[in-house]
Amino acid sequence: MNGICRVVVAGEELWLLPERAMLWPARRTLLAADPHFGKAAVFRARGIPVPSGSTGGTLASLASLVAQHAPECLVFLGDFFHGKRSQNDATLGALQAWRRAHSRLHVQLVQGNHDRHSGAPPDELDIEWIADTLADGPFTFSHHAREDAPGYVLSGHLHPAINLFGPGRDHVRLPCFVFGVDNAILPAFGEFTGGAAVDRLNWQRVFAVTQERVFEL
Amino acid sequence: MDERFSRWFSDRGWLPFAFQREVWDALAAGNSGLLHASTGSGKTLAIWFAALAWALENAPRQASPLRILWITPMRALAQDTGRALSESLRELELGWEVGVRTGDTSSAQRTRLDKRLPIALVTTPETVSLLMSRDGAQEQLGGVDLVIVDEWHELLGSKRGVQTQLAIARLRRWNPNLLVWGLSATLGNLSHALSVLLGGDRAGVIVQGKVPKHMIIDTIIPTRPDRFPWGGHMGTTLLAQVIAEIEDSASTLLFTNTRSQAETWYRALLEARPDWAALIALHHGSIDHKVRNWVEAGLKEGRLRAVVSTSSLDLGVDFLPVDRVLQVGSPKGVARLLQRAGRSGHAPGRVSRATCVPTHSFELVEAAAARRATVARRVEPRDSPRKPIDVLLQHIVTVALGGGFKRDDLLAEVRETWAYRHLTDDEWRWALDFVINGGNALRAYPEYRKVVADDAGVHRVPDRTIAKRHRMSVGTIVGDASVEVRFLRGGRIGTVEESFLSRLQPGESFVFAGRKLELVRVNEMVGYVRKSSSPNASITRWMGGRMPLSSELAAAVRELITSAAHDEYDEPELLALRPLFELQKRWSIIPTQDELLVEAVQSREGHHLFVFPFAGRLVHTGLAALLAWRLARRQPLTFSLAANDYGFELLCPEPVEWNGLIDAPLFSTKDLSEDIVHSMNAGEMARRRFREIARVSGLVFQGFPGAQKSMRQLQASSGLIYDVFARYDPDNLLLRQAREESLQQELELSRLRETLDSMQQRTLRFVRPTHVTPFAFPLLIERIREKLSTEKLADRVARMVKALERAADRPQKEAA
Repeated sequence: MNGICRVVVAGEELWLLPERAMLWPARRTLLAADPHFGKAAVFRARGIPVPSGSTGGTLASLASLVAQHAPECLVFLGDFFHGKRSQNDATLGALQAWRRAHSRLHVQLVQGNHDRHSGAPPDELDIEWIADTLADGPFTFSHHAREDAPGYVLSGHLHPAINLFGPGRDHVRLPCFVFGVDNAILPAFGEFTGGAAVDRLNWQRVFAVTQERVFEL
Repeated sequence: MDERFSRWFSDRGWLPFAFQREVWDALAAGNSGLLHASTGSGKTLAIWFAALAWALENAPRQASPLRILWITPMRALAQDTGRALSESLRELELGWEVGVRTGDTSSAQRTRLDKRLPIALVTTPETVSLLMSRDGAQEQLGGVDLVIVDEWHELLGSKRGVQTQLAIARLRRWNPNLLVWGLSATLGNLSHALSVLLGGDRAGVIVQGKVPKHMIIDTIIPTRPDRFPWGGHMGTTLLAQVIAEIEDSASTLLFTNTRSQAETWYRALLEARPDWAALIALHHGSIDHKVRNWVEAGLKEGRLRAVVSTSSLDLGVDFLPVDRVLQVGSPKGVARLLQRAGRSGHAPGRVSRATCVPTHSFELVEAAAARRATVARRVEPRDSPRKPIDVLLQHIVTVALGGGFKRDDLLAEVRETWAYRHLTDDEWRWALDFVINGGNALRAYPEYRKVVADDAGVHRVPDRTIAKRHRMSVGTIVGDASVEVRFLRGGRIGTVEESFLSRLQPGESFVFAGRKLELVRVNEMVGYVRKSSSPNASITRWMGGRMPLSSELAAAVRELITSAAHDEYDEPELLALRPLFELQKRWSIIPTQDELLVEAVQSREGHHLFVFPFAGRLVHTGLAALLAWRLARRQPLTFSLAANDYGFELLCPEPVEWNGLIDAPLFSTKDLSEDIVHSMNAGEMARRRFREIARVSGLVFQGFPGAQKSMRQLQASSGLIYDVFARYDPDNLLLRQAREESLQQELELSRLRETLDSMQQRTLRFVRPTHVTPFAFPLLIERIREKLSTEKLADRVARMVKALERAADRPQKEAA
């Protein structure tokens, strides 16, 4: 497949996808961190006019991933909704429509810091709420990068991004996957999410993501 | 005129100047107007006494005591002005008071002002907006009869100037007889400055202040200027001469063009003269205002021998003891040199004298050009921005907070300003929709409630949190996001642009405020540092320091180069450069004003094309990209580019036959905008530009002390919001504004168009020198500079200069 990077950690092959998600092909499990659904609505509710559409864009990307890779299980690594005001009619409507179209998918959500404030997704969405972390095979799925968890930790929360400098003042910031000895962090999956710059020296491997492909730095 | 005023003058043995009487008469007759004069010529007194006389003659219209609003561009200036005005008021014994209110005013002071307003308030555009966003805005400000805008030339071309225009329109709605006066330095377009200030089609008078006394502009001429100039070593080569000048004067201001240059010179002076440690000081916009106040006080009291400064000291109350102004590097503009020269020589019997200190050979030409243009008073014009949507959005919310508005009334009021006189109905509807519905009305987001209309059609802001946040962000109309620099133990040193600090890693050292510091960490808009003992600390590089040569100065430079082409070395600076010009002539030609010089040179690096339009760095940056793009469309070539104030370079690693390529269509203005958008990374430029727009229009917030935790949910970078708009709301007018601003301000598109037109008029002189010429050499360095560290660059340049000098000194027959 195009644009994908394959890495082996803890003896398992993982695919890093340009849609800023990760696939564990052996378990047919798709991982996505920090979708922040309904973030624009939170901004609007506070008087900052950000247009709608990013939730729809994020869902479209999810639908395309499911079509391409036919996963059986989808795990969100926290921060499903951005805030309380994200659970509004428009956002929930879009999510329900998406869920109905993918009703056979088993969906889990590992609780993130935003989820504590915004609350669990409504029952109709049929999302299994994991209050702490989720262990699966050699991995622990978590929102925060935890040192105390067993196994290799796959987490989100940070929204890692890497600054790349070209000639002159040319400069781009790209979302990235970062891999360390005993943990890896996924880029934020949501469209309306920013990034925190990481230092590549702190990580064993760094994979930058553009719209078309993932490449190792 | 009231006899108290004439007595005030006669008590001091003074006579009012003719222009002062002119202002008094004009104002007494109920005129608005503009007074232009240099600093320190008594223009403050002229307008202030006229204002007081007017207030004595005419009874207040309203219970609120505030009648005179004095707007100044700088907070520091407000303090000084307030003090000066108070003093004369006390001496006149009118029983009136002056207040000062700016972002620096303490809360106790603010409360006192709110309880009892003085007759006159000295303030800044931001604070006026803030006052207008309060419930009782009309009660407090509705009685204002007279607005005085100090240093109007500084505000005119900026968004803060537009903010001022809107504030004046609002005051005029409350008081249709409002009088408005501006104080301005000389500008190339004074009548524009007046129209913008008054708004509508109002007429006003222009009063010419005292003609500045004799002014000397000269240059420290190096004994042997380089034939191959480059600006890389920050040019402290004239340090010894500068020290001698400082020794000869009681008090010197050493102006630099950038903060990094100021830091460099301050350190160099201290290293050469450690005994001056307490006698010289550093002053620039990033240094904490307490330190700046101390420096300014030191200048006023004559305690300091010299102050190294950037434009942060361009404005302000005069420092009488300053008798010498040194300008390091090119002044880049005529207005700037006039302003800076005017900072010296205010003591009786003294002349204003500014001496240019060139940091590389070509700056000698610029110094002579600046003198010529200054003598001829060819001063740059400044233009008001046209309908910036971000400022409009901010103002709509401000007015909604300060008593509310009805749609048609506010539209009429906004159209009274020059900036928005051509605001279309569609644009107005869009702006209202944006603040009322959160975007296009058809979409109507139910959760969005910022500005809401009541049954009577009055629009207000019902949400108190939104109101509070708006008031807090009103003050931040300008400036890059800034990060405070503090010692770990707590002492505050100043502020730097976030973009600078984000490039440093913890542990790295930099020079700031004259000290070597090590970055420890950055946390919530504060950069914590400790003293550093590292020998190789980098000098802080700030963005935006490199100004292009103004059109007026560029024209004067072209005239001087034409003189050199005719072997007329009639300025001392030009004469000093004679060896450089003669070599240029020997290896290539010196173009006259009617010629366009293009040099093609081959080197180990590849095939260079040097083009010299002499039109300023930004224009050349755009031209280089444009030409490279147009050439690449004809042949699959790739180029590296470089530009400076004189010309630009295209370098191609593969062989190019330039002959057939350099033709008229290459310099055509046809499809210019489209070609520019394609050739430059226009999307990225607009995205960068959006930072300020997002801040002004309230889309992003800078962290501020005491911000609640819930604010964190609203943190998004302007780049992220730009991307969301570009994708889901591509017709958003703020995006259009970002694109236009980036083309006009970062590339000077209209000047680029004029330059292309003029290039087509000139005769093309295509030359193939065997060596890189003196004109081309700085461009060569400009390009390799980006890739090398300062030390490595200096070594490499030294080698290149040596080789070229050898070639130049060879017997003439060898030259092509």
